[in-house]
Amino acid sequence: MSFNVPDDLRYLESHEWVHTDGATARVGITDFAQDELGDVVFVELPDGGDNLTAGEAFGVVESIKAVSDVYAPISGTVTAVNESLFDRPELLNEDPFGDGWMLEVEVGDEGELDELLSAEEYRDQIV
Amino acid sequence: MTSPYAPHTATETEAMLEAVGVNNIEALFDVPGSVAFDGDFGIDAHGERAARREAAKLLGRNDDLTEFLGRGHYTHYVPSVVDDLSTRSEFLTSYTQYQPEVAQGFLQALFEYQSMLVELTGLDVANCSMYDDATALGEAATLSQRVRSVSGETVLVPAYLREGKRAVLANYVDGPGLDVESYPMVNGQADVDALADAIDEDVALVYAETPTVRGVIEERLADIGALAEDHDALFCLGSDPVALALLERPADVGADVVVGDAASLGTGTAYGFGLGMFVTREEYLRQVPGRLVGAGEDSDGRRAYTLTLQTREQHIRKERATSNICTNQAWVALRTAMHAAWLGPDGLVDLAEDCVTRPRDLAARLDDVVGLQAPVHDGHHFREFVAHTDQPARAVVDDLASEGYAVHEIGEHLIQVSATEVTAEAEDGLIAAISEVAK
Amino acid sequence: MLSGHFDLAVPPPGIETAPSSRPTSLTLDTGVSRVRYKQASWTDDGDRYEPLLSEKAPKTVDIEDSPLPEELTRDSLELPAPAEPELARHYTRLSQMNYGVESGPFPLGSCTMKYNPSFTEDIAALPSAAVHPARPDSTVQGTLALSYRLQDYLARIGGMDAVTLQPPAGAAGEFTGIGIAKAHHQHNDDDRSEVVIPDSAHGTNFATAAMAGYDVVELPSGDDGRVDIDALEAAVSEETAALMLTNPNTLGLFERDIERIADIVHDAGGLLYYDGANLNALLGRARPGDMGFDVMHYNVHKTFATPHGGGGPGAGPVGVTEKLAPFLPAPHVREREGDDGRGDYEYYRPDHSIGKVHGYYGNWPVLVKAFAYITRLGDSGLADASAKAVLNANYLAERIPYEVPFGPFHHEFVASAGEQDAADVAKGMLDHGVHPPTTKWPETVAEALMTEPTEGESRRSLDQLAAAFGAVHGEDDGTLAAAPTRTAAGRIDQVSAARTPQLSWQALDSDD
Repeated sequence: MSFNVPDDLRYLESHEWVHTDGATARVGITDFAQDELGDVVFVELPDGGDNLTAGEAFGVVESIKAVSDVYAPISGTVTAVNESLFDRPELLNEDPFGDGWMLEVEVGDEGELDELLSAEEYRDQIV
Repeated sequence: MTSPYAPHTATETEAMLEAVGVNNIEALFDVPGSVAFDGDFGIDAHGERAARREAAKLLGRNDDLTEFLGRGHYTHYVPSVVDDLSTRSEFLTSYTQYQPEVAQGFLQALFEYQSMLVELTGLDVANCSMYDDATALGEAATLSQRVRSVSGETVLVPAYLREGKRAVLANYVDGPGLDVESYPMVNGQADVDALADAIDEDVALVYAETPTVRGVIEERLADIGALAEDHDALFCLGSDPVALALLERPADVGADVVVGDAASLGTGTAYGFGLGMFVTREEYLRQVPGRLVGAGEDSDGRRAYTLTLQTREQHIRKERATSNICTNQAWVALRTAMHAAWLGPDGLVDLAEDCVTRPRDLAARLDDVVGLQAPVHDGHHFREFVAHTDQPARAVVDDLASEGYAVHEIGEHLIQVSATEVTAEAEDGLIAAISEVAK
Repeated sequence: MLSGHFDLAVPPPGIETAPSSRPTSLTLDTGVSRVRYKQASWTDDGDRYEPLLSEKAPKTVDIEDSPLPEELTRDSLELPAPAEPELARHYTRLSQMNYGVESGPFPLGSCTMKYNPSFTEDIAALPSAAVHPARPDSTVQGTLALSYRLQDYLARIGGMDAVTLQPPAGAAGEFTGIGIAKAHHQHNDDDRSEVVIPDSAHGTNFATAAMAGYDVVELPSGDDGRVDIDALEAAVSEETAALMLTNPNTLGLFERDIERIADIVHDAGGLLYYDGANLNALLGRARPGDMGFDVMHYNVHKTFATPHGGGGPGAGPVGVTEKLAPFLPAPHVREREGDDGRGDYEYYRPDHSIGKVHGYYGNWPVLVKAFAYITRLGDSGLADASAKAVLNANYLAERIPYEVPFGPFHHEFVASAGEQDAADVAKGMLDHGVHPPTTKWPETVAEALMTEPTEGESRRSLDQLAAAFGAVHGEDDGTLAAAPTRTAAGRIDQVSAARTPQLSWQALDSDD
């Protein structure tokens, strides 16, 4: 089975992705992660204004067979939360890199991005 | 003797061994000789009739006393239909509903039980049982640690709390490292002013009971709830389904969690055999311990029931589960729901009203007995009350036992008397006997 | 269908299957055919089955003129009020939409769904058993005598020195046992922070250790499905409070190195905890106490045939060796000395008791049933129960077309559904009048079918069970995905039930 791993994103080993556009970063979980979890039934996310710390859990994704913490790829302040996930957690399964995004963060330290996996490195990990 | 519950004939056993390819059953056991057991337990086998006689003989050594006992374990009349229906083998010999398509009946019954608790409490989510009221309280204390808005680590409980309940709570809070502290009571009820002094931001959970263990109905629950809320603590209320049929709805006094024992509906006196209620707000849904039955839809598009949100539970979430509970008291819950439905809301309210008037009237009669003052506490009572004895309470209780009556001894000169409809015909006898021993 | 041979390629009427390649070794010569089954299903219209009580007989009463002041009462109460004939019919119909051990085979691995003898119900219902827990010891000597006798029986069966009856279920027994271990270490001023648990263990073990405040160290299984000694040595340290182990393990395999395992744990100062879930395999052949275990729980449902009641009540007595006896829960029953007329037995508080794990004395009626069962079977019957449980598992494994990767197993085996989805296999089996095995666990076997037929099944019944496995083995994925079709309800959509939790009839109403 092959999974979508967009080239323009950076990844965590724990299957989160981050997309940066200037000072703002968008965060979600990967296609591989949603497939492993199966049908997502519940998502718990921080509130806008909360601070994330790279490497620490910021939310929870629950399917009918597993519960998984979601880890922050990057530190920063939450500027937007994808509230549509609360009513439609299935967006995480249907479009993990698009409508299934989780948070937007105001990036504190862009240097942290260098610590993350490239698409190629992440692809190697999930093979 | 072979097991009477293994159907194999000797011929069948031989044929099966042959199919497996061994000469005898012992060859199937892969147990090293150094740990093999070749002794006897020394337990004799019995025929069914002999086994029944043996058990009856042992239990026959229990004295036959009329019990005016309560303090957490209550007896109401359980209609025959509850025994008849609950012991149908499809219920009694079934397992946890891991295959919901063949377990719709039990799931629906548990869904109905959960719904009854939702009505009785006014809260949103009832699980389908804990072991008893004490373990349910323990689970409520640990739940407080999973609620984000709570930062404290102290559980505040009433000074009057059944010792068994306090001891169970102590074990449940040992793991997460919470402290349990008591707040004082005055006249059988919470001393709300003292509670206000005692509570601070380190409190995670405030527990109160109505009726209290001394049978007094708490009159300032809303004040207790407000105190808890003001200090970001959860308010856990202990009660039981009969009391809740009449008393203020827990949701209306700010309760976040309701615990208690529901077995007094559906199960008679059974040496403390219980049924832990656990009901809470929807916002804590994913922190609820134990099993939840939900309604969904089957492939035919019909409403059907299933255990749901199981990722909270130990078999999936292991050390991060909300509790280790697996087997609970499902069959007891089934019986409770049957009994509640048999009573209906009017029957349940009538029963609850009897629980108010009967102890009031009996206390008044005991107060007329020389050597007794009852009730000790002002206020309204439910099922039971405390009486003062001029004689040492121990002597009164012992002497009553020799007259065939059991009441609680709870202090040097304090006894507690519980009275429900099942002891109605024995009240005159109790008065006569206590009149002799109390003077 | 009753013929001298049984052909797996021929489905029973009403079941559609794709043609399958029939394993030739599965031709049975016992004159047994596959069972035909259709579970009762009541429905009154298109979108629900048996209506809820609240839909059949709703009633609201206003609370007026109560003996309490108005501010202390609720305003109204809305609950069902069926007349007794309606109530009886409601629950009878619900029971018909439920499957129990008396309905058919129930080989749910690790759950030991054996026959529950009826006479034990009568004993538990004796009026003399129905006493209040606050009665003075001297007035309940019968209850104490039976408790003492049961403690003694269980101690002998487990090879333990003392037993408490208080824990109300197996998981509560674990909590008690780990609590005793913790108290023991603390008593010796020996703070330890970890509990070691094999990856194939019951989920309760992990949850229990966490509840007791321990960190869990998960132990990977060896290639043979047993404890990997090297991994154990690496995992155990001066932080190890206990190793929790079940033997035979969840694959049905006896941990042959149990003495070595015990030495490793004991040498590190830890204790060995026995999860009694699989004791039904070993009665009269091996005892946890003799294997080096210090503390154990018994599952009276799994070993002593008390009915599971659709999810409880259970009972999880805990046995300990002599050195741990002072830590047992309070109160504990012992014989009284002297003859002062206050009886032969009494409760006492063990010197370093951990306190209580149940508000009273545990699930008393369940304990009475366990006592009755042990008394009925005695040494010989208990040993025979294990013998037949192990024989049945081995016989059934021979008869099914699924591979069993690990052995020699005892009372249960874990087959692999191979290319099939184990959960779908289970749904398919429901259509054949049998309960399926436990599925997808332990994870050490791919698409696990954890199967425990128990001693209660006859050869004929095992053949029927094997036929159900065989039939489902031959079915294609599409057919299995659509199963079950002959049960009270069709396949239930777990995802939507979890996405939109509706946990009460009030929640249904509010969504209308």
